[in-house]
Amino acid sequence: MARGFDHLFKLLIIGDSGVGKSSLLIRYSDDTFSGSYITTIGVDFKIRTVVIDGLRVKLQIWDTAGQERFRTITSTYYRGTHGVIIVYDVTNGDSFANVRRWLEEIQNNCDVVNKVLVGNKNDDPDRKVVITEDAQRFARQMDIELYETSAKDNINVEEMFLSITRQVLNHKLRTASNEQQKDTINLKHPKNKRKNKCCS
Amino acid sequence: MEDEHEPTCRPNGSTSTGSGDDISATNAPPPPSLLQIVQKKFKDNEKVHSIFEAYQLKNQEHANRILAVVSSLSGGTYAIISLSIVRTPIRFPTDLTCTNVFPLNESFQILVDGNKGFKSQLKFELLTGDGKPATFYYYIMKSEKESLFFDDFYAQIVSFKMSMSDRHLSPDFELSYVWLNDYRQVGEVKQELKNRESEYTVYNNYKIYCATWNVNDKSFMNSNMNLWLSCSTEPPDIYAIALQELNNSTEAVILKDTRLDPAWIRKMLDSVHPDSQYEELRSVRLVGLLLTIIVRKGLKAHISRCRINSITRGILKMMGNKGAVAISLQLNEGNICFVNSHLAAHMANVAERNQDYNIIEKDLMFDDDQRHIRDHDHIFWIGDLNYRLQIPPDIPASWLRDKNNPFEAMLIHDQLLQERVQRNCFVDYMEGDIKFCPTYKYNPGTDNYDTEKMRAPAYCDRILWKGDRIEQLAYNSVMEMRESDHKPVYAIFNVKIKTRDEKKYKRVQEEVLKAVDKRENDNQPQITVDTTVIDFGVVTFNELAIRDFTVSNNCPLPVNFQFRIKDPPLNAICEKWLKVDPHNDTLPIDTERTIRVKLLPDVRSIRGLLKKIRTTNLKFDFDTLILHVENGADKFISVTGSYQPSCFGLSMETLCRTDRPMCQYSQEDIKQLMNDVTPDYRVTMPREFFLLIDYLHKQGPKLVGTFQTDKPQLPLVGNFNLVRDWLDTWSEDPFPGDAQSAAVALLLLLKLPEQPLLEPLVGHLLESKSKAEAMEYIDILSAPKRNVFMHLCMFLRVGIECQYYELHQVASVFGRILLRSKEYTRGDFNTRCSEVMMHFIGPDIMDNPPLIGNGGGNVQVSAQFLNTS
Repeated sequence: MARGFDHLFKLLIIGDSGVGKSSLLIRYSDDTFSGSYITTIGVDFKIRTVVIDGLRVKLQIWDTAGQERFRTITSTYYRGTHGVIIVYDVTNGDSFANVRRWLEEIQNNCDVVNKVLVGNKNDDPDRKVVITEDAQRFARQMDIELYETSAKDNINVEEMFLSITRQVLNHKLRTASNEQQKDTINLKHPKNKRKNKCCS
Repeated sequence: MEDEHEPTCRPNGSTSTGSGDDISATNAPPPPSLLQIVQKKFKDNEKVHSIFEAYQLKNQEHANRILAVVSSLSGGTYAIISLSIVRTPIRFPTDLTCTNVFPLNESFQILVDGNKGFKSQLKFELLTGDGKPATFYYYIMKSEKESLFFDDFYAQIVSFKMSMSDRHLSPDFELSYVWLNDYRQVGEVKQELKNRESEYTVYNNYKIYCATWNVNDKSFMNSNMNLWLSCSTEPPDIYAIALQELNNSTEAVILKDTRLDPAWIRKMLDSVHPDSQYEELRSVRLVGLLLTIIVRKGLKAHISRCRINSITRGILKMMGNKGAVAISLQLNEGNICFVNSHLAAHMANVAERNQDYNIIEKDLMFDDDQRHIRDHDHIFWIGDLNYRLQIPPDIPASWLRDKNNPFEAMLIHDQLLQERVQRNCFVDYMEGDIKFCPTYKYNPGTDNYDTEKMRAPAYCDRILWKGDRIEQLAYNSVMEMRESDHKPVYAIFNVKIKTRDEKKYKRVQEEVLKAVDKRENDNQPQITVDTTVIDFGVVTFNELAIRDFTVSNNCPLPVNFQFRIKDPPLNAICEKWLKVDPHNDTLPIDTERTIRVKLLPDVRSIRGLLKKIRTTNLKFDFDTLILHVENGADKFISVTGSYQPSCFGLSMETLCRTDRPMCQYSQEDIKQLMNDVTPDYRVTMPREFFLLIDYLHKQGPKLVGTFQTDKPQLPLVGNFNLVRDWLDTWSEDPFPGDAQSAAVALLLLLKLPEQPLLEPLVGHLLESKSKAEAMEYIDILSAPKRNVFMHLCMFLRVGIECQYYELHQVASVFGRILLRSKEYTRGDFNTRCSEVMMHFIGPDIMDNPPLIGNGGGNVQVSAQFLNTS
């Protein structure tokens, strides 16, 4: 327990510029929201520790610049990522259309499979253009969980981060137990062989 | 090690609070020393005696450690505590966390490697108890003035350990290591949770049933033990059942028999309260002493630790016929200890009994966390304590045997009560009022006091307790159980056990985690930059441009920054046309630093730059710098502007697509031209090339000394940029240079494009076996390339014939430029280049039929060129 956590996971938030990636992160890490828009020029991270099933999970959440001109550079930050949060803006159809491209980026740059799709700014029905059903259909098709959030009104933010964290944790625990199984099989294997030899 | 240490020598790389020079320069109050910071990590009554700098290897990485030698005033003990460094420089106690604790107890060892003399042997191991030894390494030199050299560190530990073993012998000093538990449960979160314990702690009631019986070395499997064990109205939660004189046979005593007798335990389980289900938690036996803990089913889940131990105080103080067995357990958040002891017998041996008690109390320790009996929240001391009723000589011995005596009257003479009043034993322990007859000594099978040895009746069998929130509900003996010469005794308690309210705990834990995370987020080192876009405006080939920007540190920590090295194939912090200075630096608090960015698209970088322009589909930037803050975020600095195209670096094809001077084209125009793959050329030969050849041709003998090397001297001579502008503007003015500068410009015009002139046929040409074969390859080059090559060859032939330059020299220089190849790796590359060129510029070429079509190529091409321009 010396290090103060049982698992350390790196999460990455990606998506078009202006969809609210930083706002989601600030809402989750500091529980605050600022209406003024500041473009992220670079890569920020915040940490947050949560307890899941008695395990202390420390999250290092990376918030990337969404601007196109940084696409090549941000792709280098996918390395070592355990989970990716793909964000679009429910009031901006283009940002939803671009989700496909972001998914390709993930495909090309990292080997993790843990993803969550997030439709942010879901707080004003009048301005919403990406309807839930369409997003849900797309998410199912891509086999990703969908969350519609509002960093501004603090809707679904905790739930979304918890979901991706659980996904990552389960993935890790599953992989670990698989490896253990492999080890036991490997140990057993030569034994069986010898037995066969003796019998013959 | 002595000779390796150089006490006067101090290494330059210090991990701590800055050097003395810094202090005097800023006039700030002196920062606390590392020793002071480490001291603040501990409580007021804990003293840090010294610190030692070491490191551990974790996955082959160095992890720096500070080993603090600390003593506790309350515990009277020493320990080494290993601290890891969270942040450097170390300015606050929170920059350090405890990673390991090594109490300097009897099992402590410091192992030093025997082989000295090698750097890798600067190694030692710390070992406490049966844990794995922890390996540490250290440097010959130290960076902190206050930290010890290894020999001093070692000597101090040895002397502290010895001083403690001396004190172990003195009976009136209680040594405790429990203070260390606060540093075992390390981490800010745990500390903070402990501080807020009251917010989530509730006290739940548990019924604890303690029972003791001296069975007189016999087995009473038929006895009705439920008379003794199910006297409570409600079923208890925990039973602690203590037996003495289970088996006092010589073999058992000598062999210190610790085997458990399942028959006894089964009998106990059959005799406990019938209204609930029970299971055995743990038992411990030492010869005649047995202590069994039986718990209500379902309770095990709430018991997080359970340890046993025993201590012998029998014959020669070594045999197990007397002594104690004990069980320590943690139920929820409460630590409970049960002791079953059988102390020295006989009326006269009060002092021995007291001594037995004191030794048990002092020495019995549970190995998992060095916990003594006194280090529990709730202690139940059960057993045949053997204290007697000692009446003054003026009272007849028979008085005690009168069953009508009030208990209080007899208890006035109880040795235990008397000794407790005098604080000779069981200090701070409690005992309920005794409202039952003496439990010793009876004729077995009867309620009659011993008639054989006429032993005086006594209250040998007792149950005492110590701790908070314990309420005794019953304390009695069972007269009906007559099998032994002792009557069994039981006591029932209600204990309020400290328990975590999980819901409240979760809330507090979340708050604490959030606060700790917030602190970490807020402490993230940060720098500000005055701009994230460095705009160079219009940038020209071979023209240096300089921009500065400022980074400043406004956060409360010194910050290290560096520009991140980018992925292969670049493997550098920036593109070749950029220079950034400095690459990295440390910014003290409230300081700033100017970063200079130089942009120069020169002969070494133009190829890469044009390729980037050609292939960038999004917004074009000369580069993006990644400004990385150690332990912090990254900022992107865009280096932007636009490139003013020049003929240098562009392919002959691209140049043939132009119809006006290069200076009239923009970066975007040139990108389109570079990506154009259609064969629609505006001219047959680039005008810039033609103008240079034309000028050179007119220089006649002035050409002597040109084309001596294919590698232009850098930096390019002063008037090169004039030549560049003359070419890029299709200037009508006289050529601004001389034959030499025109020759350099020609070589660069041919050399700088991404592809060599004779591509895609370079490989074929280098492998070609004959002149005719080589000529066929030239024939299928693109028109601009073919024309340029032919025109060039004709020009060179003239110069060779006029002996302005030597054939082999020129063939070699131009061959290497026109046939540049990465694929051709054989050693004869230079020879082959010359040989191929010789086919076209050698003297015998005139004897052969014309290269392509007709012999008037030169004239024809020039005419075409002039027509289209």
